[in-house]
Amino acid sequence: MENNNKTDSSRILNPLKFRAAVFDSMLSEDTGYSNYSYWRSTIRTFFKNKAVLALVVLIAAIIVMSFVYPMVSDVDPNKVSLFITDWNQRPSAEHWFGTDTLGRDIWARAWYGVRNSFLLAFCIALSDVGIGMIVGAIWGYNKKLDPIMIEIYNVITNIPSTVYLVLLAYIMNTSYLTLFISMASRGWIVEARFFRNRILSIRDSEYNVASRCLGTPMRRIATKNIIPHIISLIIMEAALCIPYSIGSEVFLGFVGVGLPVDAITLGNIVNHGRASFTLHPYQMLLPTIILCIITVAFYVIGNKFADASDPRNHV
Amino acid sequence: MSNNGHTSPKIFSAQDVEIKFNLRGKVLTALRGASLDLYEGETLAIVGESGCGKSVFTKSFIGMLDKNGSITGGKIQYRDEDLTNYKTEKDWLKIRGKKIAMVFQDPMTSLNPVRTIGEQITEVITWHFGTEHEQAKKEAIEILKKVGINDAEYRYKQYPHEFSGGMRQRVVIATAIACRPEILICDEPTTALDVTVQAQILNLIRELQRELKMTVVYITHDLGVVANVADWVAVMYAGQIVEYGTVHEIFNEAVHPYTKALLQSMPQLGIKGHDLYSIKGTPPNLFKEIRGDAFAPRNADAMDIDFEEEPPVFNVTDTHYAKTWLLHPYAEDYRKSLDERDAQIKQEKKAAEPFNYTDAEKLLEVKNLTVKFKLGGKEFRAVDDVSFDIFKGETLSLVGESGSGKTTIGRAIMRIYNKVDGQIIFRDEPITGKLDRQKKKKLHMEMQMIFQDPMASLNERAKVDYIVSEGLYNYHLFDNEKDRLEKVENIMREVGLSSEFASRFPHEFSGGQRQRIGIARSLVMNPDFIVADEPISALDVSIRAQVINLLNKLKRERDLTYLFIAHDLSVVRFISDRIAVINKGRIVELAECEELFAHPLHPYTKALLSAVPYPDPDIERNKKLLVYNKDMHDYSTDKPVWTEITKGHFILANSKELEAYRKEIEKQG
Amino acid sequence: MGKYILKRTLNSLLTVIIVFVAVFMLLRLMPLSGYFPQDMLKETDEATRMSYLRNQGLLDHPVKQLFRFIGNLFQGDLGRSLTVYPKVPISTLLAEKIPVTAAFGFSSMLLGIVLGLSLGLLMVRFKDRWGDRLGTGYILIVRAIPNLIYLFFIQVWISLWFNLPMVFKKDLPSSWILPVICLSLGSIAWYALWLRRFMVDEENRDYVKFALVKGLPKKQVLRRHIFKNAIIPLVIYLPSDLLFIISGSLVIESLYAIPGTGGLLTTAIKSQDNNLVQVIVLMYAVLSVIGVFLGDLLVAAVDPRIKLTEEE
Repeated sequence: MENNNKTDSSRILNPLKFRAAVFDSMLSEDTGYSNYSYWRSTIRTFFKNKAVLALVVLIAAIIVMSFVYPMVSDVDPNKVSLFITDWNQRPSAEHWFGTDTLGRDIWARAWYGVRNSFLLAFCIALSDVGIGMIVGAIWGYNKKLDPIMIEIYNVITNIPSTVYLVLLAYIMNTSYLTLFISMASRGWIVEARFFRNRILSIRDSEYNVASRCLGTPMRRIATKNIIPHIISLIIMEAALCIPYSIGSEVFLGFVGVGLPVDAITLGNIVNHGRASFTLHPYQMLLPTIILCIITVAFYVIGNKFADASDPRNHV
Repeated sequence: MSNNGHTSPKIFSAQDVEIKFNLRGKVLTALRGASLDLYEGETLAIVGESGCGKSVFTKSFIGMLDKNGSITGGKIQYRDEDLTNYKTEKDWLKIRGKKIAMVFQDPMTSLNPVRTIGEQITEVITWHFGTEHEQAKKEAIEILKKVGINDAEYRYKQYPHEFSGGMRQRVVIATAIACRPEILICDEPTTALDVTVQAQILNLIRELQRELKMTVVYITHDLGVVANVADWVAVMYAGQIVEYGTVHEIFNEAVHPYTKALLQSMPQLGIKGHDLYSIKGTPPNLFKEIRGDAFAPRNADAMDIDFEEEPPVFNVTDTHYAKTWLLHPYAEDYRKSLDERDAQIKQEKKAAEPFNYTDAEKLLEVKNLTVKFKLGGKEFRAVDDVSFDIFKGETLSLVGESGSGKTTIGRAIMRIYNKVDGQIIFRDEPITGKLDRQKKKKLHMEMQMIFQDPMASLNERAKVDYIVSEGLYNYHLFDNEKDRLEKVENIMREVGLSSEFASRFPHEFSGGQRQRIGIARSLVMNPDFIVADEPISALDVSIRAQVINLLNKLKRERDLTYLFIAHDLSVVRFISDRIAVINKGRIVELAECEELFAHPLHPYTKALLSAVPYPDPDIERNKKLLVYNKDMHDYSTDKPVWTEITKGHFILANSKELEAYRKEIEKQG
Repeated sequence: MGKYILKRTLNSLLTVIIVFVAVFMLLRLMPLSGYFPQDMLKETDEATRMSYLRNQGLLDHPVKQLFRFIGNLFQGDLGRSLTVYPKVPISTLLAEKIPVTAAFGFSSMLLGIVLGLSLGLLMVRFKDRWGDRLGTGYILIVRAIPNLIYLFFIQVWISLWFNLPMVFKKDLPSSWILPVICLSLGSIAWYALWLRRFMVDEENRDYVKFALVKGLPKKQVLRRHIFKNAIIPLVIYLPSDLLFIISGSLVIESLYAIPGTGGLLTTAIKSQDNNLVQVIVLMYAVLSVIGVFLGDLLVAAVDPRIKLTEEE
């Protein structure tokens, strides 16, 4: 053992130290207490990325603005001007985003559009994830439902999403409600399957079996064993629903089965602007930028939140 | 150097290696100056609890540290190459796999599932030697034959999932030795395998080593394995080698308190009815700087100096050294007093009287229990027509290998499956099928379960306080909040945890502590009967003793009855009154503990007993392995029946076998 | 294996039937005004219109209509277009349009696979470096922004910058370039995203560590071990790629005025041609079910683990 430090002769040791020490059992149980809380760590990890923080602030500002603007402003977004001079005005101090082919103020329309589109997307996200989670839970707990649910899943998802939306929107008269129905009637089953798989793995986990051995009622199993484990997924899925819903609305408008032209939504504004893009690009560009900010922000937030909610990424 | 007991040349040397990891902005010192030499053809075992750095240490030999880790000190040398200078992948490829090979713990995940095992062996040969594919294939088949795989040409083309766990580990070993490495590092090579398979794999490695003249390094926490295979043993603790010596020296003359503690906490060495020696607490937190002897906080006999100065290495003999202040001349008196005390304790302990079955009262009866599962549209019987009784106050152990159905029996008793066939009777009332709320409540208060995996059995998102009082909430078993808190506090104290822990989340606890939280959760219901489903198999050796002692203590104090499910016969012998051996869903033999060990009848029981590792190198090296094969039975016409062959000794056999067994008993007297 | 194929075939057939019936019945909910050829509504009186509807069998019970439709289907009669190409048999229309859509579909599918997998590999290779970040940015744009918007800008601007035709012309080869690229943008992002994710997942598995310990170079492990495992879950989703491309073709074909079925569906919807919408939607639905079925078979062929479990 040539390398090892033989007793260091230069150091003087105290013989009295070679006697039994007092044993403290708590010293041996030291675990390095860190005062960890799942949610606090998730939030901290989420906001650690400054770009995410900026996006959250930006998106919050846009949404607040879209709700505040219609309340404080007296500009009528649907006011059509009969004077040719009011048509197709470039952005100016009076009309910040300019006016469209009918002389309507695009700045005002953009905010009404953000509000309406966001509300629609939000309702769809809520219903998709909400119904999906409930159905997923029932599905996960009842193996007998498997064949029928899988068949429903196959039928709905085997039709390409755009074709499905077009078909339903085509059959029903277009309105906010029918648009909501056609989109929501598809999303729930996708979410249900997603949640079912998660709930299955929780259901068979040892801690859940332990709860059953203790006779824990279903209600408390749901609130204590299941929801805390999937809440981050719920938030992520809901966030990712929003860009998808907005995109679908734009698409339906393009195909010609979107909302009626007098409905002010981002989809309608963009599709309207597209028609006159070559002559008056600003009519499309400016609302499009807002739309893109919203969809990108929700997409990034959803994904980053999923990362942050994974305990492996906790700092 | 000449007189260090090693007869062959030194081929590898690691000196004072220090390895640090960057984890979430904090620095973890995984190795704190570990040194080790390897000599040609020898077998070294590195022993220690998980987290002591043994895997990290050996990974650094082949440059396989995780990205966030680096060698910050010391020197690693292989023959004439200084491996500390190796920086690029190209450098490491010169020795990785070719000169130093490695085998991992879990054969189920070590092989690529979508490539044939043949390809996976051949690619190593072609890469390292540039052999033509056809030639390499021939060599690969040779190697497969060598590791004991029959019909190698055919199996060459098969995928890993077509092999059993033991066979896969053989393939993994074949891959590792395909390039005739000089050093083979086996990282817990048998931990994931069943006992009977484990013994075969160890024999295989030994044979290959002799044939190929390899140096083999075992990393293990199982002292039975060490006793079986090792020439030399290095004991690791908190990133350092704390004791090194020949296998006999370590097992018979250990000096470091940690080594001694490890050996004493083996259940094989325990005396029934007494507490097993146990190491307190948990291994140290390597994020913090360690002062003095790292083991001191867990060592009840530590000296003052242990907390202040790091001990140097003292030689015991030429071949044996240890890093402990006990070997300092100043400590001589103290050491002697400790030795005397230990000897005295050993003498005083007497084994407890066996359980008295004459007036025993039946608590639980299982009659013709069958549990069927559907797997890929096919029905298979996880438990097949099993019957046994459990008497009040006893510990009945159910022993079997993985997939034998032992856990399924436990869960069937706990009413976790919706549908089972047969009858389960608890306190004279059948408990299968639908029950009303009142009866369910009663059962939940009387029967509880302890789970295997302390990591998975606690809800990560709930605080310990909720986890422990879950049962109290369910049936509102408390008067008010103050009463509930008091109950939680009492139960925490009973399982040896501080009541402050109640406000923390489970992931902050070590495996042993988590297991104790799980036990507290069951105990809070004040049950009489507990199904303990492999409660210690996921724990480290030192922690196992803590949990075994706790279970025994609770049994004494609360007059509990246990159904103890396990795969490890050595633990079972220490803890149980009766043992039932289960194989492929059927109980093949059931007898009182000592009777079963003394007169095993069923060939499966015999095979299982012959494979149990024992922490004594002399016993371990001379043991004879028995192999069980279900073709031993001819059940084509003469069906086996569950029979009581002598009082209290049940066996599954047909009439012809019974006759043979009776003769065997007569002969034994 | 044979048993598995049979089981899957029957299963898919059931799905096709359900989809078929559901779509057909849903379309019965449409107002009958959608079944009149152009101008007929204005020019004729109530009685003529009713007799027209009766002649067409549109007043019959939906179930009867369904069986008649299926009966005609087997004789190759898909009905006639009403408003888009009045009175032209739909089968003639499809025979003309399907080859165009198929040509675009397959070429963009190929492009999507090649470029998508390459991008995914690139991202894994340069994980957490610039290559990875660029790829992530691309995926973000394609997946987060409504496709209509970027497709529109590509049509307007990219065609200008590279001097490519803005609309499709049959005999102008350069007019194929933009639509094919546009059609594959989504798939590229999709393949890259999942290949990267699966490969990163696989990287941490024991068999990869073992392969490295065997002394194989990282590059070889990436190619022979990780890639091979990561590609299997992707194969399952290959049919989703088909759905993707069908979805995209609706927009792209009408943007570039490509005479394919996607564009035809959009036109048919705008001009409320019920018969045409019905046939195209049914065709897409059946195609998708077949795609999913083929995907499952492909996985069974690629993944050695599946074969055995099904055989047992």
